[in-house]
Amino acid sequence: MAFTSSTRLVNPRLGTYFGIFTAALVALVLMALMFEQLGVADGLLRALMFAAPLSLYAAIGFNARAREPHDYFASGRRVPAFFNGLVLGVAALGGAGFLGLTGALFIAGFDALCLSIGWCAGLVFMAVLFAPYVRKFGTYTVPAFLGRRFDSRAVRVVAAAVLCPPILLVLIAETRFAAYACAWLLGQPEHLMSAVLIALVAAVLAAGGMRSLTWSSVAKAITALLALAVPATIFALMASNLPLPQMTHGNTLRVLTRMEMMRNVPILIAPPLALDLAGAGMEALAKRFVQSFGNVGPIGFVLASLVMAAGIAASPVLLPRSGTTPGVYEARKSLGWAVLVTGVVLLTLPAVAVYLRFLLFEQVVGQPPEQLPAWMQILQQAGIAQIEPGPQPVSLGRFGFERDAVLFALPIAAGYPQVLVYLSLLGALAAALTALSASLFALAAIVAEDVVRASPVEVASDRARLGRARLALAATAFVGIWLAIAAPADPLQLFLWAATLSASTCFPVLVLSIWWRRTKAFGAMAGMLSGLLVAGAAILLSEAGAIALPSALAGTLGLPCAMLVTIVGSLMAPAARHNVLEQLREMRMPGGETVYDREMRLLRLKNRSPS
Amino acid sequence: MIERNERKAYWRHTKVQMLTSLLPFLLAMVILPIYADAFNDKRILGMPLGYFLACHGLMVIAFITVAVFINRQDAIDHWHGAHEDF
Repeated sequence: MAFTSSTRLVNPRLGTYFGIFTAALVALVLMALMFEQLGVADGLLRALMFAAPLSLYAAIGFNARAREPHDYFASGRRVPAFFNGLVLGVAALGGAGFLGLTGALFIAGFDALCLSIGWCAGLVFMAVLFAPYVRKFGTYTVPAFLGRRFDSRAVRVVAAAVLCPPILLVLIAETRFAAYACAWLLGQPEHLMSAVLIALVAAVLAAGGMRSLTWSSVAKAITALLALAVPATIFALMASNLPLPQMTHGNTLRVLTRMEMMRNVPILIAPPLALDLAGAGMEALAKRFVQSFGNVGPIGFVLASLVMAAGIAASPVLLPRSGTTPGVYEARKSLGWAVLVTGVVLLTLPAVAVYLRFLLFEQVVGQPPEQLPAWMQILQQAGIAQIEPGPQPVSLGRFGFERDAVLFALPIAAGYPQVLVYLSLLGALAAALTALSASLFALAAIVAEDVVRASPVEVASDRARLGRARLALAATAFVGIWLAIAAPADPLQLFLWAATLSASTCFPVLVLSIWWRRTKAFGAMAGMLSGLLVAGAAILLSEAGAIALPSALAGTLGLPCAMLVTIVGSLMAPAARHNVLEQLREMRMPGGETVYDREMRLLRLKNRSPS
Repeated sequence: MIERNERKAYWRHTKVQMLTSLLPFLLAMVILPIYADAFNDKRILGMPLGYFLACHGLMVIAFITVAVFINRQDAIDHWHGAHEDF
């Protein structure tokens, strides 16, 4: 109970288990490399690189069964800080970070850094502003946190309704990224892959909820990091003799900058508010890599990084993860690990972009069309790159590149064995699957715990509660499959909308509910609703072309508006009851038993005693 | 467990720590990219200095910010007796 040491709950063999997993993964890649040299059929290699890791994830997930809500929703609160931070970092990035951001960096260069700054800063904000308090409260979902903080069922239901759109957008975006990587890996249509992947993830989650999610995501995160590191490190070794792409891509960048000057790549100047990151489909390389504010204006850059940071910090997909750590101190520490993991990934992605751009300028741009290297033909045949036919040497204006393919185009362009291309795809798939399963689980938990409310869930028996959660998971999975197939929009754009929506609905209310004592239920509800309305309207108006604000920056209107409405609404409402304030004071102190766990324990005792 | 009269002092201390963690970071986050072009004619590790600061510099600042925050906040918890009592 409360006197158990937090470290005694943690399984001491976790490091060994995941060491074995990593060794198995490395062995698989080495074996596949040998098979490739021996001339094994390409289809078999692809199937091996897809099926073996995925069955490992599924096995880990199915083995982590959950028989009670505490395990199902909070992984038993015994995930050590490092593993929690690893999953948190990779789930925050997801396919949008690995595939989308690499492509955006490749095409827009420096300007795409606004997203990576936002990602990293978001985790910093989460560590300082939210994570310790959400952990101390111990509720399983964000709406439940807000509902209990204000002791109001209405707030809980409103929060659940308001938070569903951003989570759904993340779910769709990550499904599309995962299906994209999977379709390249297996050569199957994307729609089919969306359905297969969501069904697979839902089946694994149904076995053990947050427990399965955590432990299979650790394996996925290890795969994603390894798959990102290997091709970039090999290139760094070849280019600079040092296996540190993060620090050594400077020399390549210097040569690249010189080549860009020689080829007369234009220096663009964007309007101050512009935010023109690469879209899906063929995109031209319009500006120099290092030049700032060519596609994104200076104000747009700062606003985009702030909105992104607020969106990631208050993301209802990521916040429940802090509830899985053994204590408040570990919750803070796990965010430290998450910032480290994310930072290393966010330093590797620009290196990948620089390397591919370097190869392109060295071997393709300025060459006559008949002297293009073999890898360019492969990329063109695969539909990743496009060169408009013409007699003159290839110029940048006639050249297009698919944004999401940049990560796995580097191993193709650098002439690596085919297996390393598949490894890159596998890493992107693993990262997207991590984020996909986190968002699917968060949505299903909100539907089961906060929306469906025939009777208070906390009173229901464990079996009924888990049954309801699994039913909600199946329903959510079906909706997710349908939407992922039906929604035609660009997945990175969907992800940015999700961030902007959670920045304008969740962030202001969470900040005020923790840091401002006088926040009231009425203010919180009004704030969330107005944030959703303003941001949603701004996105629609911007997409229709009625306002000049880019739709991803809708949060710059929604966030201050929601903040203001929450403050005014709270000042107008009558004073909060004593028990609400007492609960707030308890939440702010790390010491003592987790608030929600104590309530559940008392409830169980009450039900047990004959009265 | 924390004493009743320590609560106010603890929360004041925590709020100051929150601001001292976030404000310098926010400042760096806004200023470094804006002035990146001005620094780009100098080089470090082969990279233009402005790009290096906005990319590597900010990640390092973020990590230091969180690490210092975890350390200081834990010290504050112990100072006021608000820490977890396992």
